[in-house]
Amino acid sequence: MPPSLRCTSSLPSTCAKKLCRAGQLTRSFSTTPSQDQRITRNRRQLFRWLGSQGQSFLNPLSGSTNYLGAYNAQGQLKRVVEAAAEAEKKKKLKEGKGGEAATQSEPELGNEDKEFKGEIPPETTRDLQPFPLNRSFISQPVLSDELREEIWKRVLQDGKSVREVSAELTVEMSRVGAVVRLKEIEKEWERTGRPLVNPYHEAVMSMLPKTPYDPTGKIKPKPHESINDLPVHRATGTQIFHPTSESRHFTRADAAEVFSERLLPPDLRVPHPELAEMHKDYKAGLSVEEREERQKERDAIADRKRERAAKKQAKKEAAVKKVDTGRVVFRFTEISVDEAGKDGRGFKGVGWRYGHPHMDRTRGAVKIPTSVE
Amino acid sequence: MARKRFHGLKRVKFRATWNKYNLFNLSRLKAPNTAFMTYYQQKWSAKSITRAYHGEHIREGQWERMFTPLLNSVIPMDHRYLAENDGSEMAAGRGSGLEKPMDLKKIAFGKNQIPYMHMTYAPIERRLDTAIFRALFASSVRQARQFVIHGQVKVNGKKIPYPGYLLNPGDMFQVEPDRVLFATGAPKVKVKTDAEKIRYERRIGRQSNITRDAALAKRSARRKAKEADELADDTIEFAPKLQKSTKIIQGDPEVRKLRQKEFLKLIRQIEDRIGNKKVRRTGKLKQHLRMLLRRAKANLIFIQKKSVDELETELREITQELLGQTEEVESPDKGPVKRLKTESEMTPIMKQALEKAIARIRENPSDSTKPYATPWRPRPYMSAFAFVPRYLEVNHKICSAVYLRHPVARPGLSEVPTPFPAETQQLAFNWYLRRR
Repeated sequence: MPPSLRCTSSLPSTCAKKLCRAGQLTRSFSTTPSQDQRITRNRRQLFRWLGSQGQSFLNPLSGSTNYLGAYNAQGQLKRVVEAAAEAEKKKKLKEGKGGEAATQSEPELGNEDKEFKGEIPPETTRDLQPFPLNRSFISQPVLSDELREEIWKRVLQDGKSVREVSAELTVEMSRVGAVVRLKEIEKEWERTGRPLVNPYHEAVMSMLPKTPYDPTGKIKPKPHESINDLPVHRATGTQIFHPTSESRHFTRADAAEVFSERLLPPDLRVPHPELAEMHKDYKAGLSVEEREERQKERDAIADRKRERAAKKQAKKEAAVKKVDTGRVVFRFTEISVDEAGKDGRGFKGVGWRYGHPHMDRTRGAVKIPTSVE
Repeated sequence: MARKRFHGLKRVKFRATWNKYNLFNLSRLKAPNTAFMTYYQQKWSAKSITRAYHGEHIREGQWERMFTPLLNSVIPMDHRYLAENDGSEMAAGRGSGLEKPMDLKKIAFGKNQIPYMHMTYAPIERRLDTAIFRALFASSVRQARQFVIHGQVKVNGKKIPYPGYLLNPGDMFQVEPDRVLFATGAPKVKVKTDAEKIRYERRIGRQSNITRDAALAKRSARRKAKEADELADDTIEFAPKLQKSTKIIQGDPEVRKLRQKEFLKLIRQIEDRIGNKKVRRTGKLKQHLRMLLRRAKANLIFIQKKSVDELETELREITQELLGQTEEVESPDKGPVKRLKTESEMTPIMKQALEKAIARIRENPSDSTKPYATPWRPRPYMSAFAFVPRYLEVNHKICSAVYLRHPVARPGLSEVPTPFPAETQQLAFNWYLRRR
């Protein structure tokens, strides 16, 4: 009988350092070194960290966010440490003032102690950094449930426009639209009895910073985000030396024209140009009725513009013949052979043309859908 | 060759996951020491470290095609400033506005700079799999990718099986809630002992018993009805059987379906209780539990024959008994009998407990068939990674989110979540510029 094949390295007695966690390997004849979890210095460090500083991240901090940036190297909440130091400082100051004041200040001190021991102080920007090295990224607040409900109510029940609600609650217009859309689905689920994922929702909301909203109106609503963001246009990226007379009244509109002939001034490129117009009326000293009148005129113009755009879109859609088979909707568009042009290379030309490779053979062309309707 | 570790401790790569190894690595992330590196080495290492986080599952060539040196940014404008000034005030002084006396305390260095370099990997945030991860629907980008491939994700109501689908502003994506609960919930730890295996087998046997019992019950009911008919009147022997088909059951079928699900959940809860050997129960209590189980199962079997209201009261009563909200009552013929407490007899605390228990059955039931720990609770170390960037609007109640716009940078803030400092990002950006 041949001797049993055993690698010396797998024998526990020959291991100089005990690297293997399990004393006995399942396959003692294997010649490859054990790949599974050896106790290395790094692993020891990991488990030491998980047991000490990392313990704070195991479970969410109740009533607060819980990011890496909020903790110091010792694994203590920075803001709690600071509050404690502040309280200590105050205590010393009071003691220094005199013996007779010390007896009076005792109950006060007790209150302060409670403040930082029982309740965690509110987060600052620093505590909202999930990645300590990246100061430019902070976990920004999300809409609270009450605020979402209010947005939905104002748009669908009070019949206000998205633009109005956006300006009132300082929430971006696209966000207002999205909230209403999602809320509608949520209500639909409730109506049909499809269960909502409330435990998950509650858990996530407890971990995120929120923009509060008081439905009773006692507390003034906090602005959620900046709603008048001007997108930086590519044309404004270059520095231009533009000589002009010193006496010229050179405005933003002139500057925009210098950058590019087609570039609109920022007054028209911001999402809420009507806010500036309203403020102008206010500054001009117009009465409330006059201001409302002017706002109505502006609204009427905007409505007409929207109607025109909708008409154009409807006309465009009417040109496409749709055949619904139940599974797919075929869309037929009228085309002309002549659109290929004289040389057969016209932009609107369709179909296979001699000497032209198919686009789906080209490298790097996107072959998955680029939009879903 | 063995596959390299995804979350290594030695050759450290920072990943877009909620893994505890990753959290440990992130906690010891330091700005790289570039003092002894050539510029090329710096760029290479920066690119390699950042790409491990940003779309490591995307091929390099694919990413290079997505990369663009044009970075989006916005400047928040004050409408009052726009109304009060027309821009000509910027021509005053020496040509850049009137100078204010300098106050060293008020100068915030770098506060108004736009962190453009953090936008290097912004195109990746447009991908469907990354957006799902950012909306907190998956615990890693790879898991999000798997959800998409497995057909659990819809975009604007249509199933999209392409993780590389680039979201357009206004696109809504929905993930199957059960998958989200699995991805974000605490893992189910189950070590099967021999005793548990036996119990499991027994349970399977019992399940086959349920169907057999149901068939037996049906057969006996039919026989009894036939006998009753014969006893009542011999002459109606040949009368057509109208009763069965004409019986109308009240209630919405959708609601009935929902009740059915709730009864299933309740049955699982009672079964889990019976199976739980950690709690010692008396024989009487066990008998009681088994009785409740039978009652719940009977309801499930005859779900089509009972009205919706009846089912609702049954569910309520069983839950009430499970909570022990009962009372001993002397009955004249049967001796002491347990009776459910009525609405008026219950204390507010008891009422609350009952409502809570029923809500839990409906919302967060303990259910051993789920692939995550039940009742659901967030997975460990989730809170350190829980943030939702502003370019998404998420409704976690329905596991849906809307991609509002492409991520942008604004003075002092960027919307692309990345663990790396601006210097590293800049080096990576320079790597991907065509002329390097």
